[in-house]
Amino acid sequence: MSEIETFYDVMRRQGITRRSFMKYCSLTAAALGLSPAMVPKIAHAMETKPRTPVIWVHGLECTCCSESFIRSAHPLAKDVVLSMISLDYDDTLMAAAGHAAEAAFEETIEKYKGNYILAVEGNPPLNEDGMFCITGGKPFVEKLRHAAKDAKAIISWGACASYGCVQAAKPNPTQATPVHKVIMDKPIIKVPGCPPIAEVMTGVITYMLTFDRMPELDRQGRPAMFYSQRIHDKCYRRPHFDAGQFVEAWDDENARKGYCLYKMGCKGPTTYNACSTIRWNEGVSFPIQSGHGCIGCSEDGFWDQGSFYDRVTDLTQFGVEANADKVGMAAAGVVGAGVAAHAAVTALKAAQKKTQSTKEEA
Amino acid sequence: MTETSLLVGPFNRVEGDLEIRLDVTDGKVSAAYTNSPLFRGFERILLGKPPTEALTITPRICGICSISQSAAAARALADAAGATPAPEGEKTAALLHAVENLADHVTHFNMFFMPDFARPDYAGKPWHDRAVDRFTAAQGSALRVAMDARARLLHIVGLLGGKWPHTLAIQPGGVTRAPTMRDKVRISADLTAFRRYLEQQLFGGSVEEFEALTTVDALSDWGRGDVALFMEIAHDLDLAHSGQGAGRYLSFGAYPLPNGPIWQAGTWTNGIEGPLDTSGIAEDISHAWMLGDAAHPSQGMTVPDVDMSADAYSWCKAPRLNGLGYETGALARQVVDGHPLARDLAKQGGVLGRVGGRLLEIARTQIAMESILADIDPKAPFMDRAKLPANGEGMGLVEAARGSLGHWIRIEDGAIASYQIIAPTTWNFSPRDAGGTPGPVEAALVGAPVREGEETPLSVQHIVRSFDPCMVCTVH
Repeated sequence: MSEIETFYDVMRRQGITRRSFMKYCSLTAAALGLSPAMVPKIAHAMETKPRTPVIWVHGLECTCCSESFIRSAHPLAKDVVLSMISLDYDDTLMAAAGHAAEAAFEETIEKYKGNYILAVEGNPPLNEDGMFCITGGKPFVEKLRHAAKDAKAIISWGACASYGCVQAAKPNPTQATPVHKVIMDKPIIKVPGCPPIAEVMTGVITYMLTFDRMPELDRQGRPAMFYSQRIHDKCYRRPHFDAGQFVEAWDDENARKGYCLYKMGCKGPTTYNACSTIRWNEGVSFPIQSGHGCIGCSEDGFWDQGSFYDRVTDLTQFGVEANADKVGMAAAGVVGAGVAAHAAVTALKAAQKKTQSTKEEA
Repeated sequence: MTETSLLVGPFNRVEGDLEIRLDVTDGKVSAAYTNSPLFRGFERILLGKPPTEALTITPRICGICSISQSAAAARALADAAGATPAPEGEKTAALLHAVENLADHVTHFNMFFMPDFARPDYAGKPWHDRAVDRFTAAQGSALRVAMDARARLLHIVGLLGGKWPHTLAIQPGGVTRAPTMRDKVRISADLTAFRRYLEQQLFGGSVEEFEALTTVDALSDWGRGDVALFMEIAHDLDLAHSGQGAGRYLSFGAYPLPNGPIWQAGTWTNGIEGPLDTSGIAEDISHAWMLGDAAHPSQGMTVPDVDMSADAYSWCKAPRLNGLGYETGALARQVVDGHPLARDLAKQGGVLGRVGGRLLEIARTQIAMESILADIDPKAPFMDRAKLPANGEGMGLVEAARGSLGHWIRIEDGAIASYQIIAPTTWNFSPRDAGGTPGPVEAALVGAPVREGEETPLSVQHIVRSFDPCMVCTVH
């Protein structure tokens, strides 16, 4: 391990001053909700620990997660995570291309065997032997399995990797399948949202790099520090909900007054995410603030819940004081995870066969 | 004569997955076949759903062009409802859309296109050290400044649209948020900050002055900012004649406003202006893994051929206008709109033309946004209520950063009965049609030099990236 630099080495090499480094540690502690007493610990960890390599792969997706990630609020955190800690391999952003990129991918896996974090954006489609998403001549699902084999842990970025997202909407033409139903022997942390908030992404990855372990997860596998409260709990329009003041139609008088969007189909009351506290685009706003209801994009199955503009009718089902864990338990009973997982394995085997025959033709 | 075949891909620094097969004869590309290897089936997912779901689902086709998709969906629904958006809503939607397109152009130049010139392959070129310093992937000094400027610019979308990507604010009748006077001031400050970035870094001079350029020669003499470095490289590598197009350009017309679009719709076919007539559009599927016949998008279907039969080599359909392939994008938009610099760039229409067209559009967009913002009246209504019919048809045409984007919807019994999308990269990266005529990129790649031992030829990368492909939109 001695040949791998520490975070601090990397940062110094990039011209980051000691002062900026300490500031970054403070920001990280704050973003993660840790006490100021933790700042020296974070600093110490980053000075002494070898940096954790990250491999970032893209499956069936739209790259919105990467887009979100590169715009996180603290420029320093972004610099550190994005360009200094360095994504050793990333499909979208890196310099190499084509065969050189594939070589870099293999090299990274080999060099950091058992020691890297695999970040997955998007998911593998399993129908037709995985042929709906092919990278480097192979179905993405193969690349995913290959990269996962020697990974220390996996981060499922966004709704696609965590749950399937809109491409898994009925009838799910490609059988888009979330990562945890394909990779079953690695610790997986889900960071849902379409996309996830940038600060949530940098927060999660910084925590894992700094402390070399996963943050506390809720029952659905999401980091509790960001997904333990409903949008509704901290929504600035909540007083209007409590007072029974609602927007009745787009751009009506009530809309201009900023009343509650519940009747316009807002899913804030059933959605666990940090939008109403951290907000979006460097803390500027979030969907409810723009006058449109929350669509619940960090919840499993948000894409197949009837209209986005129908009001939530099962609000009382979980009770006002229910937490994400309870909801998660309720949801777990409904999902036929076992069946889907079995189908996934079968399709994978078939996919491997088809690739081989394709190769021979080429 | 030596002949080889190369399989190039995956490409990075393009959005999504792309693979190109090249036939190489005597050190030059003799034929190219583009494959979009990613299919998700959005057009099938939308079937049977309530029409308004398109507003939430279609933006998720792409995390980079999500506002374009949402604007096209809103337009298609408004068309079906026979409604026009509230004027202030239309302006606000145009502003949101322009922010996204502008951010895309700046990202393309700094993060996708220019880093290729920092490669070690170009070591020894007089400009190489400067290219390394400014544009090394993920590290160059220009990249950092551009990323920061872009993040600040996207505050505007944050403010008006709640979040980006996947903004929900644009609706058939207008937008969900009416900006207050205070918002206008904040947006104005963000636009000023972006102008500062453009004028200090990218152009090194005023955007008005840049917009006033009329010839390629004048552009070459510009001599300031990152533009100067690009032009120096373009001349040294003769990018003007690299990847030349067929001279056919298409634009649906950008940023519709109450008094007409900012940039006109139409076609430019080998020097001849023409009106836009969408009835001549057909999607050919002879070389796509799709079942069915060539059809106008209002009649089209998306039925993947799961056997992936031999004649086909891509998931992408081949859209044609009156039987011909058309190039679309910033250069096309500016050529169709009649800007003299764009028309001069189009005479060669190669890598320099496309990138130059984008730079021109960056300058023009900045100016347009400032005037749109000034014209917004916070007190007027921002949303008209559009009532969707139980049965009807609609077409939504917009200009995304990468070119012409169209949505065609048919509603039956209150549910989506058909939804077809033609994205800009579907036009540009289309495979061959039934007549065997290659798509625009396939044609542009012919003649590209391949040096001895090159597996991923540099010339090919420059040409492909000059189109700024968005592969996730292509097939959707």
